[in-house]
Order: sequence, then C-alpha cells, then structure tokens
Amino acid sequence: MNTGNGRFPKGRIAWLWENMEGRHLLYIAAITGTVVYNIMQLTVPYFSQKIVDTFLSGEDAAYNLTYRKDYLIHLLVLMVSLTIARVVIVYLDCMAYEHVSQEALFRIRNILYDKIQRQDMHFYNIYRTGDLMTRVTGDLDAVRHMIAWVIRVIIESVSLIAATMTFFFYMNWRLALLLMITAPFIFVIIRLFRKRVAPMHASLREKFAGMNTVAQENIAGNRVVKAFAMEEREKERFDECNTDYRDTNKKTALTWLTFFPYMEGIADLLSVILILAGGLSLILWPDLMTMGEYVAFSGLIWALANPMRMLGNVMNEFQRFSAASAKVMEIYYSEPEIKDREGAYDAVDRLKGEIVFDNVSFKYADGKLPVLKNISMKIRSGETVAIMGETGCGKTSLIHLIPRFYEPTEGDIRIDGRSVKDYTLKSLRTNIGLATQDVLLYSDTIDGNIAYGDMDLTRKEVERYARYSAASSFISRMPDGYDTVVGERGVGLSGGQKQRISLARALAVKPAILILDDTTSAVDMETEKQIQHSLRELDFECTKIIIAQRISTTKSVDRIFIMKDGQIAEEGTHEELIAKNGYYAELVRLQTGEAV
Amino acid sequence: MAQNRRNTYKEDEYLEEPFNIRHLLRASSYIKRYAGKMSGALILSALGGIMALFAPMITQRMLDDAVPAGDLKMLAKLAALLILSYAFSILFITIRSKIMVNVSQDIIYDIRKDLFAHLQLLPFQYYDDRPHGKILIRVVNYVNSVSDMLSNGLINIVLETLNLIFIIIFMFIVNVRLSIVVLCGVPVLMIFMMWIKNKQRIAWQKVSNKNSNLNAYLQENIVGARITQIFAREDENALIFSDLSKSCRGTWMEAVRYSNLVWPGIDTISVLVRAAIFIYGLLVMKQGEISLGVIIAISGYAARFWQPIMNLGNTFNNFINNVAYLERIFETMDEPVTVADASDAVTMPPVKGEVVFENVSFSYEENKEVLHNVSFTVKQGESVALVGPTGAGKSTIVSLISRFYNIDSGRILIDGQDISKVTLHSLRSQMGIMLQDSFIFSGTIGDNIRYGNPNASDEAVLKASRTVCADYFIKLLPDGYDTQVNERGASLSQGQKQLISFARTLLSDPAILVLDEATSSIDVQTERALQTGLDRMLSGRTSFIIAHRLSTIRNCDRIMYIDEGGIVESGTHDELMQKKGAYYHLYTTQMEDIA
Repeated sequence: MNTGNGRFPKGRIAWLWENMEGRHLLYIAAITGTVVYNIMQLTVPYFSQKIVDTFLSGEDAAYNLTYRKDYLIHLLVLMVSLTIARVVIVYLDCMAYEHVSQEALFRIRNILYDKIQRQDMHFYNIYRTGDLMTRVTGDLDAVRHMIAWVIRVIIESVSLIAATMTFFFYMNWRLALLLMITAPFIFVIIRLFRKRVAPMHASLREKFAGMNTVAQENIAGNRVVKAFAMEEREKERFDECNTDYRDTNKKTALTWLTFFPYMEGIADLLSVILILAGGLSLILWPDLMTMGEYVAFSGLIWALANPMRMLGNVMNEFQRFSAASAKVMEIYYSEPEIKDREGAYDAVDRLKGEIVFDNVSFKYADGKLPVLKNISMKIRSGETVAIMGETGCGKTSLIHLIPRFYEPTEGDIRIDGRSVKDYTLKSLRTNIGLATQDVLLYSDTIDGNIAYGDMDLTRKEVERYARYSAASSFISRMPDGYDTVVGERGVGLSGGQKQRISLARALAVKPAILILDDTTSAVDMETEKQIQHSLRELDFECTKIIIAQRISTTKSVDRIFIMKDGQIAEEGTHEELIAKNGYYAELVRLQTGEAV
Repeated sequence: MAQNRRNTYKEDEYLEEPFNIRHLLRASSYIKRYAGKMSGALILSALGGIMALFAPMITQRMLDDAVPAGDLKMLAKLAALLILSYAFSILFITIRSKIMVNVSQDIIYDIRKDLFAHLQLLPFQYYDDRPHGKILIRVVNYVNSVSDMLSNGLINIVLETLNLIFIIIFMFIVNVRLSIVVLCGVPVLMIFMMWIKNKQRIAWQKVSNKNSNLNAYLQENIVGARITQIFAREDENALIFSDLSKSCRGTWMEAVRYSNLVWPGIDTISVLVRAAIFIYGLLVMKQGEISLGVIIAISGYAARFWQPIMNLGNTFNNFINNVAYLERIFETMDEPVTVADASDAVTMPPVKGEVVFENVSFSYEENKEVLHNVSFTVKQGESVALVGPTGAGKSTIVSLISRFYNIDSGRILIDGQDISKVTLHSLRSQMGIMLQDSFIFSGTIGDNIRYGNPNASDEAVLKASRTVCADYFIKLLPDGYDTQVNERGASLSQGQKQLISFARTLLSDPAILVLDEATSSIDVQTERALQTGLDRMLSGRTSFIIAHRLSTIRNCDRIMYIDEGGIVESGTHDELMQKKGAYYHLYTTQMEDIA
C-alpha cells in the first residue's frame, strides 16, 4: 500500500490543522507559550549567578552582604517569582496542548466512527474488525500524541536552540559560527534516519493491526476455539503475531540506536569544540574572547546539546505519526460507494410498500459468477410473499438489494414506483424492517435490543412486539425480565430466543416492508406457529417478504417464489405450486415424509 | 472478581480500590527473568554517567591550569581526554540502550503472551459476561502502555535513587546545617506527592474505564454495522459514540490536570529551596561561620539534588498513569479458571462413545437451575435427537458433554470415565461440536475447514466438503478453496457458513458428534443430500442432534424430548408417536401445518 502524501486531499499537517478547528488560536497561543517558557528557562540561572557574583565571589561581596541585604532579597524574590511564573506558564501551556489534542482526537474519532458505520458491505469485506479498531484507537492515539507532545518538543527544541544561538552570536559570533559547523551533519543524520525508519513504522502499524485482528477473532470466536480444543494452536497463532510485532518494534528502536552514536557524538562535539577553540583563543588570542564569555558558553552548551539528544525520539514519534495518520486518513477520506445521490428523495410519509424488481442482475464485486440473473417480479403493497430455494441460490442477495446493501449490476428496483437509488438511504431504510439470518444482538438489556430501531418505544410497546414474536413468555421468565442484560451477540440465549428478539426488533420499527431472512429457523414448531399467526395480525400494514426453509412457514402466504441459480424458477400459491409438481412439491414431500 | 451482572458499554467495570502491592510483586516476576540484562544495563548506565562527570572536571582543569599557564600541550591532552570520555560514554549508553530495547520489548511480549494464554483457559462464561471490546483492549492497548514503566522506569528508579544518595552524602560532608535546609524541601514534596497520587490514580482508572467502554461500543458496532444500517440508526449511534468519546476526553483532561502538576510542583519546591539556602547561608548564619566555597558547593549540589528527584517524579508519574492498566491486565490474569483440568487429571483414552448422565443438575446463575437431575445413557454409536421448545436446555445438555461448564451435581461419564477427571484438551479434541453460530475466521475457506485439523490434506478437505455438499459452491468462488473470507463473511450466506463449519467439524474426525442446530439455515434439499454422506460417516459414532425440523431427526435411533430442564420423553420416533405425548403433539402440529 502506498503511504505517500498524494493519496489524500490534504497533507498530514494540513489535515491536523483542519481538525483543530475552533482551537487554532489556542494552539498558536500554546506554541507561543512554549517559546516563552523556554526563553525564561535561560534567564533563571542568571539570577543565581548574579547572587553568587554580588554577595559571594565578587570583590565587594562582604560589603554588599552587610549593607545591601534588600538587594539580595530583591534578587531572591525575582528568582522565585520568575520560576513560579514560568512554572505556571508551563502548566497552562501543557494543559492547552492537552486540550487542543483532546478536541482534535474527539473530532477525528467521531468522524472515523461515522465513516465506518456508514460504509457499504464492500468496505466490510475488505477491512477486518481488529484492523478498524486499531485505526480508531492505537493509530489515532499516535495522531493525538503528535499534537500534544511531538510538536511541543519540536517547538521547545527549536526555540531553545534559536534563543541560545542568538545569545551566542550576540556574545561572540566567531565561536558561535564555529559551533554551527555541526548543523549540516545533523541534517544528514536526520535525513538518513528518516529514510530508513519510515517504512519500519508503516510495517509496525500493520503488525499491530494484525495482532489486534488475531486477538479480536480469538475472543469473538472463543466458542469455536474451545469446541475444537484449539487453544494451543491459537496460542501459536497469536505468538507469531506477538513475536512479529515485538521484532519489528525492536528493529525500529534499534534503527535509531545505529544513528545514536553519531548524533550523540555531534552533541558532544560541541563541548569539544568549545574546549579546544575556547582554550586556544584564550591562550593565543585573548582579545577575541573573554573568560566570562567562555564561562557563559560553557554554561549554556546544554541548551544546544539536549535538544539534539531529543531528536531521535522526536523523529521516531514523528514517523509513527506519519504511518498512523496515513491509516487514519484512509478511513477519514473514504467514501462509501452506496450513498445518497444528490437531491435524493427524502420520503417523509410512510411508504406503501409496493416492490418491483425490474430485470435485476447482480454480481459481488469479487465474484466470478452472477448471483442474480434478470430477475423481474412485482410484490404488491400489503402482500405476503415467500422466497425459497437451495442454500446459496441468491435469496439473501436478492433481499439485500432492497435496502441498498448492494447495488444491482443491471436493472432497477422500485418501491412505490421510485427507484431505491432515488430515496435517501435513511428514509428508504426506516421503511424496511429486516431480521437477518445471522442474529446480532448487542450487549444491552432485552428492552434496549428490541427498541434498537426506535429508542422512544415505551415498555408497553416493547412488550407488545415481544408478544408478536412469541418472545414474551421466555423473557418474563428471565431474572430481570426485559431488563436482563444479554451478552454480546446475545450469548446466554438460545438460537431460537435470539431470533425471536431480532424479529421483535424488526417489528418494533413498524416498517412498511418487513423482510424476514430465515428468521425462525431455530425456533420450534409450536412457537413458529404462534409467530405466523401474529404476523398476520400486526397492528400496522406492511408488505412481507419471508425467506424460509420450512413449508409450514410458507404455506399460507399469498405467493411463493422458488429461486434456482439466481433466477426465479417457480411462482404461485401453495396449491398452485403443488399442482405444478416441481421443486416446491418435492420440498413438501420431503418435509412431510410422504406423498401429498 | 466475578460479576453477577453482565457488563455492557454503558457501565464501568469494577474497580479494585486500594492499590494492591500484589500487583507489584506480580510485575516483578516479569522483570526477574531479565535481571541479568537489566543489571548489565544498570552498570553501563552508571559507567556512562561517571564518564559524563569528567567533562566539568576537564573544563575546570582547562580554566584553572591550562589557560593561565598558556600550556597548549596540556590543552590538547585535556581535549583528547574529553573526547575519550565521551567516546566511552557513548559506547556504554548505546549498548545499554540496545539491551533495554530488547528487554522492554521482551517484557511486553511475555505479558501479552501470558495474558492471551490465560484468556484461552477462561470459560464461556467469562466471554458471555462482558463486551468483547473490553477484553481486547487489555490484550492489545493496555499491555503496550505498561512496558516502559516496567523496564526503563525501574532502571531510572534505581539509578536516580543511587544518584540521590551520593549527592546527599556529599552534601552532608560539605555542611550539615545547609544540607538540612536542602532536605527540608523533601517533606513538602512528599505531602504534595501523596496528595496528588491518590487523585491521579483514581483519575487514570477512570480513563481506562471510559476507554474500555468506548472500545466495547466500537467493536460491537463494527461487527453489527449491518444492523445499524438496516435500522437507519447511524445518527443515534453517532450521538452515543460521541458521548462515550466525550467521557474519554473528560476523564483524560481530569487526569492530566493532576499529572501535569507533578513537574511544576517539583520545580517550584526546588527553586524555593535554592532561595532558602541563600537566605540561611547569607543572612541567618553568622559571618565567618560559613565559607564562600561551601555555599557555592551546596547551592550546586542543591541544583543537582533536584534533578534526580524531578526524574523520579516523572517515573512516578508514568507509573501512576500506567498502574491503572497494569491492574486491569493482572485482574484478567487472575480471573479464575473455573473449568480447569483437575490436579490429577488423566488423558482421556480414545473415545468409543458411550455417554452417561447421572443425576446431572446445572445452573448458569445461582439458584436458577437449568437442568434438574437429568439422567440418561447413550450407547456407543447411537444417534440421539434432542427436541423441545427453545430455551428448554437442549444446547445446555450438549455443551456439558464437552465440559464447557461445570455441573452443580451428578456425574457425566464417557466410556465410564468421569469427564471432570480428564484433561480438557484430551476430551474436547475428540468431540466434534457444531454450534449454533458458525463463526468464520479470516483466512481462506480451506483454512477454515482445516481449523480443527491443520494438517489435513487437500483431499481430506475436499472429501469433507463434498460430504456436506459444500464443494459445489466453494468451487464457484473466485479462488475456490483459497478464497479469502473474514469474520463477518459477508459474501457467504448463512447456509454456506453452516456448510463450511459442518465440513470443519467433520474434518476434525470426532468420536462424538454434536450438531446444535447445525443445519437450520440449510435448505431441506441440500440437507437431504448431505444426510446420505453424513450417515455413512456417522455410522459407529455417537451423535447428538438438536434440530427443530423433524425431517432432520426422524431417522435418529432415539429422540429425547426436553422441557423445563429435564427429559420428558425418550424413545424412537415410532415409540413416541404411539405414546401420544409431547413429541406426538409436536410432530402432528408440524404435519398439520404442512398438510
């Protein structure tokens, strides 16, 4: 994957700046504060020096100490108050950086979340859960760290070096110039280091995401792991990622250590230059430099050397930010392929629920073969139809086209005479209630799960929909009834119980179009019968599309569609299809075990 | 601590109140392994520090001796000495840093490895009771946070403490009274640190809790994106996420409000102490009682005295921030392994397949019995169907055979061997359980089928998938068996996922097969087709089948009707039909429905 800058509409820093929106002034103030307290840091030693000179080592020290005590107090008060002022500035400055970085983190995190949740299925096929989570957590933290720490340290170093060099030039430009000869070496080292380490940080982010993914799947799939007693294998698998991540981490950190001796050498070179050049000039050309100047240089040389020592760390953090921000920005700037077209119709009123498939064909982006071939059918408003067919014949793909989870490759789907593409996604989908095959509940109360699509639902209504889906009896037997918290994915509930909650959830939005994708497969016969009954007596009008395997489910619907290899093979009522003596009739024979 | 209630993203996790010293001992066990390397690093650090001390001495000599004497030779010697001391210092520090990079990465690796290994031991219940995102953040994010504190943090503490002791000794040698003035700052600092420590610790615990909640919500919503979209809940979810995100921001700002105080606090105390030395030395002590050199020396020491304290303060800060994470990690490692091998567990011999339940009672939660005194015997090779209303306890019975949960009373025997007395691995690896939800790992389809038997040959994979009629659709996928799928397996239908996990179960060649609603999403025709192949494979193997579709179970040797935590009826299809009981009722309603 290309991590260059050109991929995104904005460069990294411009992107950061954009996300500090509303805090630009504060950030500039924080940066100014950093410059100020670093300069102040240089002035404090001046006071203790002054005290020592005036009252201890100077010629008039004894005199001063006896008769100018007030001046001493004055100096001490200045020293203490300047330090306290500096400390207060440092504190406020740190908090300002934290504030801006947290605001930016908050903003970017919310945007990322929203981007992710609005993505189409294609996106979810590419990005794994663990990978996405890494981008929103670990990678984003590197971005936060950039604003809160890396930039601050860079400003700190630059202002410290700049202030010191200005002071040095002001005091003795020759010696200052001599110290400057180290600068080109520093740039060379930084460039070389950056070139070496940048790809490592990119790979480090990948390894991190990889490890996250393995751990995530292990946790999510813990039942399968245990069922197959594959704990050892899982440990090995995780160990691979863990080792890989560790080794990449080591490699990255050690890369700086190969440059470290040179950088440290240059930092130390400053002292060597000082002692050699200073000593020589003091001995041979005393008029070029005074003793006092030399002492001042030697007392401040740390202000040049320390920032240089920080450079490695800063560069590493910067590269970490670069690699992480590329991953964050990839999501930040991603656009789903399926989205509202411009001027899309926002259906305010409830739809009637007439669905027309007009010569629809469909193929998955990564698929070889078409899943649906030239399907045309019309489902009238308020009609109940069943779709049946072999596993993998395209039933689910067909109904996924209605809420625009996927876009047909050919043909069009119209609801109430308008193409689904012309509705806003929100108004289209609020009119559709879909209970999916793969039941996903949230770790929340049962009440919260049923009211998922309509959070304003009263408890009474929740109970009513639970009754419709024949869930009320088992819910009322649970320890906390509707307030029982079900685990993630509804663990702790049986398959049939989960399906019934998911059905209640779909009913609770009172959709104009209700789609049940094999929703009662794990429900026992008796219960299913109840459900079928209550589906006929819902308190709202809706078009129903039911995918099912069982004849008992489909027997009493208005029409049955039999799908085969992505096409509609048979169509008609229960009686008509039995008379046809095709797939459906065979199905009936199989399920009843005798010729009908 | 076990929680009785399930945790969600809305609730913070339980906090262990006072910091437990046990955690530190625990942490030290990770450090001990690297004691040798770390001592080496410590010595190198000390040597490097000593080398660095030469510089001021050399400057001193130059100014005092070489310059006044105009001795160029001496100047050259001094410069050479300086270069040499720097060279050694760089050498020592570089080696030390390399050692520490390795040690700190190794420590993270070890903790993460142990944590993950422990998670593998934890029972279903653990995973059922909390959002997965909260478990994940511990393994991945928290472990990263604690490494620096355990490696470099420790070395810093030792070095700076040594440094401090030396400075204090030197200071006292120079002048006792002034040294006491310097040390007066210490109690003030202590009080300050104690005050801030408690605030800080609680604040960082809150940060970890809020982050954990956010992670939980995030993970659920990535996994459940399709549900969000179908219910058009994006706007509401964005608000919830924003609230969680806001709590993270709020707790973070609260925490750094204290953390950022440490350094300014020390700095302020240090400058006050310096002022105190001048005041005491110059104004309070009588003239002549103290020499100029002494004051300069003490004031110099005082400045150097606060440097290690400042560094210790930073280390301490880092420590407090990360201890919240360390607690969470160790808490997870301490999570009791309720379903574990008995101390005298033996290896389960190759299973023949007789399964006996003797008065088995079981409850998920206390006082809420799911199974009550269940007894039955399943002969070797018998196929048993469990039927009954949803939630009656069918899945519970079959999950007990693999000992996914411990039973409250009674015994479960396989081939006469009590399963609580054998190792879990030897038991479970002989069982083939196909669960209700067919989890697909990211990887290829082939990898998924091989999951329980990684070394299976391509032919074996092919054979298993042919048996369950999965071969035909897999072959149609873009890369056949090498097609990449992921956890959510969006382009596979539920029925296809079930077929894949069916193949996966068959390939593991189990002695006892459990199918828990394994075919609910598979159409009747495909099921019929796979039945033939399956029957062949099953002959001689004991099997338990849970299904609602009666066509699936009619051919089983025995049917047990489960309701209200017990076996209501048991017998063959014909026997139960004659009995005209619960099963008869069930069967006839189904048939009535169809006819």
